Amino acid sequence: MLFGISNLGYQLYPTMAKQRFLVFITFALAIGIFLSVYINRKDQVDFSTEVKPILNNNCISCHGGVKKNGEFSVLFEDEAFAPTKSGFPAIIPGDPKNSPLIQRLHETDPELRMPYGRAALTETEIKTLHKWIKQGAKWGKHWAYYPVQKPEVPLANLKAGNGTKNEKNYLGVDYFIQQKLEKNELGFSEQEEPLKLLRRVSMDITGLPPSENLKKQWESGALSYEALVDQLLDSPAYGEKWASWWLDLARYADTKGYERDVSRTMWPYRDWVIKAFNQDMAFDQFTVEQLAGDLLPNPSESQLIATAFHRNTMNNDEGGTEDEEFRVAAVLDRVGTTFEVWQSTTMACVQCHSHPYDPFKHEEFFQAAAFFNNTRDEDTHDEEPKLRFYEPEQKVQINTIKDWVAKNGSTNEVRKINDFLAFQEPKYQAHLAEDFVNGELIDTKWLGLWHNGSCYIKNVDTQGSDQLLLHYWADLDGTELTIRNGNPNGEILSQFTINKTEGRLTQSIPFKKVTGNINLYITAENPKARKQQATSTIEWLAFVNTLPGENQDGYLEIQNQFQALLNSKPLSLPIMIENPPYMRRETHVFERGNWLLNGEEVQANTPESLNTWNPDWPQNRLGLAYWLTDPENPLTSRTAVNRIWDQLFGRGLVNSIEDMGTQSDPPSHPELLDYLSWQLMHEFDWSVKKLIKAIVLSDTYKQKSQISPSLYQKDPDNKWYARGPRIRLSGEQIRDQALAVAGLLSPKMYGPAVMPFQPEGIWQSVYNGEKWTLSEGEDQYRRAIYTFLKRTSPYPSMMTFDAGSREVCISKRIVTNTPLQALVTLNDPVYMEAALFLGKKMKKMAKNDPSNAIAFGYEQCILIPITPTKKQSLLDLYEIALSNYKNDPEALEELISKDEKDRSPEFGAYVLVANALMNLDEFLTKP
Amino acid sequence: MKNLQNLLRDLELQRLEKQTRRHFMLDCVTKFGGLALAPLLFSCEQSGTSGSALEMKLSERDLNPLSPLPPPFLPKVKSVIYLHMAGSPSQLELFDYKPDLIKYDNKPCPESLLEGRKFAFIRGTPNLLGPQSKFSQHGESGAWVSDFLPHFSKLTDEVAFLKAVHTDQFNHGPAQLFMQTGSPRLGRPSLGSWVTYGLGTENQNLPGFVVLTSGGKTPDAGKSVWGGGFLPSVYQGVQCRSKGDPVLYLEDPKGISRNLKKSVISTINKINAEEFESYGDPEILARINQYEMAYKMQIEVPEVMNINDEPEPVHTLYGTQPGQESFANNCLLARKLVEKGVRFVQLYDWGWDSHGTDHDNALDLGFRNKCREIDRPISALLLDLKQRGLLDETLVVWGGEFGRTPMQENREGKRMGFKGRDHHVDAFTMWMAGGGIKKGISHGLTDDFGFSGIEGRVSVHDIHATILHLLGFDHEKFTYDFQGRPFRLTDVEGEIIKEILA
Repeated sequence: MLFGISNLGYQLYPTMAKQRFLVFITFALAIGIFLSVYINRKDQVDFSTEVKPILNNNCISCHGGVKKNGEFSVLFEDEAFAPTKSGFPAIIPGDPKNSPLIQRLHETDPELRMPYGRAALTETEIKTLHKWIKQGAKWGKHWAYYPVQKPEVPLANLKAGNGTKNEKNYLGVDYFIQQKLEKNELGFSEQEEPLKLLRRVSMDITGLPPSENLKKQWESGALSYEALVDQLLDSPAYGEKWASWWLDLARYADTKGYERDVSRTMWPYRDWVIKAFNQDMAFDQFTVEQLAGDLLPNPSESQLIATAFHRNTMNNDEGGTEDEEFRVAAVLDRVGTTFEVWQSTTMACVQCHSHPYDPFKHEEFFQAAAFFNNTRDEDTHDEEPKLRFYEPEQKVQINTIKDWVAKNGSTNEVRKINDFLAFQEPKYQAHLAEDFVNGELIDTKWLGLWHNGSCYIKNVDTQGSDQLLLHYWADLDGTELTIRNGNPNGEILSQFTINKTEGRLTQSIPFKKVTGNINLYITAENPKARKQQATSTIEWLAFVNTLPGENQDGYLEIQNQFQALLNSKPLSLPIMIENPPYMRRETHVFERGNWLLNGEEVQANTPESLNTWNPDWPQNRLGLAYWLTDPENPLTSRTAVNRIWDQLFGRGLVNSIEDMGTQSDPPSHPELLDYLSWQLMHEFDWSVKKLIKAIVLSDTYKQKSQISPSLYQKDPDNKWYARGPRIRLSGEQIRDQALAVAGLLSPKMYGPAVMPFQPEGIWQSVYNGEKWTLSEGEDQYRRAIYTFLKRTSPYPSMMTFDAGSREVCISKRIVTNTPLQALVTLNDPVYMEAALFLGKKMKKMAKNDPSNAIAFGYEQCILIPITPTKKQSLLDLYEIALSNYKNDPEALEELISKDEKDRSPEFGAYVLVANALMNLDEFLTKP
Repeated sequence: MKNLQNLLRDLELQRLEKQTRRHFMLDCVTKFGGLALAPLLFSCEQSGTSGSALEMKLSERDLNPLSPLPPPFLPKVKSVIYLHMAGSPSQLELFDYKPDLIKYDNKPCPESLLEGRKFAFIRGTPNLLGPQSKFSQHGESGAWVSDFLPHFSKLTDEVAFLKAVHTDQFNHGPAQLFMQTGSPRLGRPSLGSWVTYGLGTENQNLPGFVVLTSGGKTPDAGKSVWGGGFLPSVYQGVQCRSKGDPVLYLEDPKGISRNLKKSVISTINKINAEEFESYGDPEILARINQYEMAYKMQIEVPEVMNINDEPEPVHTLYGTQPGQESFANNCLLARKLVEKGVRFVQLYDWGWDSHGTDHDNALDLGFRNKCREIDRPISALLLDLKQRGLLDETLVVWGGEFGRTPMQENREGKRMGFKGRDHHVDAFTMWMAGGGIKKGISHGLTDDFGFSGIEGRVSVHDIHATILHLLGFDHEKFTYDFQGRPFRLTDVEGEIIKEILA
């Protein structure tokens, strides 16, 4: 058509009259085209929003992923148009009358009429399907699988707020919100009172009430709202607040999980997350480092720490459990978690069969799993590989050794030595041992041979190394260990004596150079061993080369340092390390999701229905991370935006936070979601701080949160945002806030998890002697994010306020309301102590008039001045408590500990008022 | 046993006396509490920016997510007491009598049974192990029960045995999760959570789903076995303890009397009511309700959890010793709790993992003691429920997470010093009693060694389907939407065990 017009124009150009005619014609044509497109568009059935919901609700449970009754499925395009059992396709594009799909909807015989055994489709639904087929049955994708496009901002006169329009560039949000408000006959509420807004934005950005100083600056007007937001975003508390959101997704905890649930060192990863937020690490980089930091060229220590994200999977120490089963469980968890965290996609069902609703195929799950199936971790008791954090003087030694190797050997040798010192890989774990004679895998974990015992470790590639590193411990002297190539008569590769050790030891033992894959046949002899006594307990074997430069001066010292470093026990963190090529695992489809039933082999790949793979990317976790953060990936930015929005407003633009698939809730503001996603990627360069700023600077965010009954009727869930967000604070926020207003909160950041007060008898894990030991000094008053989290027994008061046990990825905490919460803030000694300290501050401010103290206490907690009626209620309580404690000195002595100098009835009464203040709905809720 | 039944009658009177006192106290509370909430809920005349809750058309569940709801179908029972023996007791020493095992005691297990099989600890060819107890038939039903359960054996005519239950998890953690949440992996709601989510609870002064543990340890799978999974956390089990605070943070802080606490709560709620006036947020009403309930809970929970004042005959009946954490105490508490309208009471008793590695887990020693610990309390519980007319509206379930092997354990191929059995998934015994359950029947049959079920096999999902059915649910329609799809306790499986339904 366009070609036609220009052609026409060329011919008619010469004369003016004709020119005028041309203008007219062009104009008319343009209108015509516009109208026809417009009408056409209006008339065109949209697959994704109109047809797919009908198919999903009525057909897909029998004609979808799991079941394909009549060999017909409406899950994938190729299946929907393929011949069914009858030999003919059910949908004939352009011909609804002859399409069995339509015919079967009209059948009168209940055996034939679809949906089988259920109510018939409505007239409108049938009409929609009819029309869709007539228009050519164009298949389409679910909205969330299209790449993010930059939507036009629906500019209009903004009616929000009080005309505080000085923050340019951050107006987008309000235009989109206003558009929908008007459609729903709603309008913005006015702007929230300054002090309430201050408390709201401070709790949202830092998780803490604002400091006294910030409040003063804000009240004096010296600070613009934007400057206030910037200050809050710059505060180190910001990282702590937002890390607690991320740690739910990362399933971070301080124990391994499962039956024995013993402690593990994971806190360096928690600190990494806090620092990453505070440095405003770009979200794409944040993604790449956590998923594949180890695969970056010359990864830094920090990038290796980041990979602990996927070492937060649980590790099973239960006796009798097979490590391989739980290694596989961890791998599958990594697939599920990665897709939930970055793609709002549930892969769990695809593990056993194709997704019933979303376009993901059974084998695609295992293709995704192949990305994660080649790391060194194998659910071992020690959770290797672990990054070793050496002391400064040890780091100097490492550099000396590296310099030595660089001088006397190759760069490849330097890298190998460096890696082995950093995380002791690659190595072969004892649980690979099999075919035991007179020996066992002790507790299904460690290799133990009795006298005259033997076993095999198969498929070992020593890379031609001349040293065996053996990690073991032994209670007996004089065990002869022999390692042969292949079988009892094979060549002796190594023969040595093992003596009694003080704990675990890593020993270097000469080993005969061999190439290729071999089976190690290991025997042990020690007549001194009792019957069925293990001669030694071996944890792992590794193969390395003798350090180069044997003839040089100082070699012995270098070698000794190397040995000493190997045997040192620095703090260490489980991390991801990729298998070297010779240890590569194949990935197979599991039949019906059963890890013991291997199907065909698959290669690492991403689901076809999402963005395409760039051949420049490496076919490993790093490539996967690039794929996720590619601007063409439709789900990563939308997921991030949706969840950050949810953190601020208590609901997402797509309300099903964990899922953006075809069965998810439709987005309330699709254009806004895309607008912010586009901005996040292209304008903000993945800066999370900028995204948060763009949202909290909107008038939408700054509205009053009052609800009139009529507004409640129209929009009970506040999904159109005609009022500000008013949500109960999280367990972490409630505790941190109580400590903050009491003046108890420690600003100390980072480090090992702490154990604040917890009632007796909470920890009762089986086969686990660990105890909750009350932390000392300020460590009792650290922010909640530093509280030790034991998976089978999390900190109880936090659990009561809806925090999870972090065993699996949680993308949304459902806020609940139970009397047990009231019991926590009323009675938990932690909150009573906070009340005591707040009461102390209040008494100081009283100046002989309790109403001063009460006004002060209320403002400490809620920030705004107290109303006269509330003040009166609290004064009444004060008087009751005062007379009570005057008459009952014993109760007073029980309430206030001996350590306090002031044990007056007045103090007691203030403590009680403070306890009431910390239980007000206003205190527990973001205004 | 007759003696026990006589004791029960004496108790009835004392119980009634006590109830009167409790009602008096609760009335006072309701009156004071009502002060705050009633006008907000019921005065429609108020106008202005914020309004009354009635105008907002709030449902009962908006204010209280545990308020009772009727099930979709006519239920057979109102509440459940689930007795889980964590570690898994041996069915071959208790209920599944196999004379052939006596014959083949200490003989190598036929290879045909072992082919392609995996066990937690058994390696190579183990020997069969005869029962370590003596069996005889009991009651009109003629059920086989061993002499390890002398009291319980007299109650077999109340019970329906499931002799061929099977699972697919042979490690404790995953198997307990499977038994309690329908999935061996974490993240699913427990049975008790599903039930409380679906039905709420009758008594708002007590938690709806109570968990009691004994044996000194929590179950291997940790608190996830009573977790709420993806359901709102309000439906997770509340662990009540027989030592310390019965519910965490239940006790008032030292120096705060009940009267003072009442003033504190009434002040909080007065201010919250004012807050509702200005914000109009119904969440505030829920908060007011929450504080009233917390106060009442502080009265009623200690009362129901306190067994000190139970008359001596009760202690004799159950074998209870106040102040201790014991299975007997928990059985008595279970009865008290369902009597007070608690929906789901879950007992976990730890210490049933009879591998034969030491004295405590030898079948003829430690295991026998464990049986003694539960025999009297369980029998007392059944009798007591029956006596009070509660057994018709309560379902009692007993079982472990799997069974034990007919073979003696030979850990890692070693000969063991004590008699024990390894974990076994193919066949084990559970029983149910109470409303809607056929009395005195045995369903399912195992082969001559008790290795596999050969008739009437039932799965963990079948058990869940049956429990839900008795509570008035169709397990296929009782769903919760999460991650874009409806989830069921029974996943895509489960059939009601019709054979044991009355």
